Amino acid sequence: MPITDIPILSMLHERMEWHQERQRVLAENVANADTPNYHARDLAPPDFSHEVQRASLALDRTNPSHITGQASGGSQFAADSGGRYEIRPRGNSVTHEDEMMKAASNQMDYDAVTSLYTRSLALIKIAIGKA
Amino acid sequence: MDFLKSLAIAASGLHAQIGRMEIISENIANADSTAQTKGGDPYRRKIVTFTSELDRSLGANVVKLGHVETDSSDFTVRHEPGNPAADANGDVKYPNVNALVEMTDLRDAQRSYEANLNVITATRRMLQRTIDILKG
Repeated sequence: MPITDIPILSMLHERMEWHQERQRVLAENVANADTPNYHARDLAPPDFSHEVQRASLALDRTNPSHITGQASGGSQFAADSGGRYEIRPRGNSVTHEDEMMKAASNQMDYDAVTSLYTRSLALIKIAIGKA
Repeated sequence: MDFLKSLAIAASGLHAQIGRMEIISENIANADSTAQTKGGDPYRRKIVTFTSELDRSLGANVVKLGHVETDSSDFTVRHEPGNPAADANGDVKYPNVNALVEMTDLRDAQRSYEANLNVITATRRMLQRTIDILKG
């Protein structure tokens, strides 16, 4: 069984690819910050809702006074708020500040995903008794 | 490998900004270059253009320096009859370079350069994290 058959690893793998691709798009935006008629672009976030729903776990209510929790099924990614870019007279809509913010968050998210990946591999190691 | 693509794109941005800075420094250096002949035209301000170009081997849009255009605005004319470049009326044409505009442009180029450099740093760190998975 290849390692990518494990759902969590395949999801993380997909997510890492998405971050890679996004970094490329952001690099393009920054590099073309002075190109006339260039419009800033971004990637739509990946949708893992079908994966999460397949293995959905409901939260149990141990005390009646607890607020009923809902398993966080479905990805609640904020939709890309397009149209907030300003377009300068030369027809370019890249804002350095925005791109830097996105690059930083992309990097942090990627860090999180790689950490999760390492942890998941460690779990497999425990399972085969090599921890 | 997509990270290498990101690095290549950011590097193309660095190249383009350096090319822009070269032209700006040329403009500033020649801010007082009058004509060699009597009544001739002095140095004309140059403007860089950027174009987004698809690099086929890379499969990504890199930025390239386009044509270097000349600024067609009017020269500043000063009355200096003793100047070797003066015409019959004693007027000397000075380049259409405005130091303030050039300095602002230089700052802009510097800022873009730093932004590209930031992307390279971030990409490098992500690449490093990928390698770290192997060590984990």
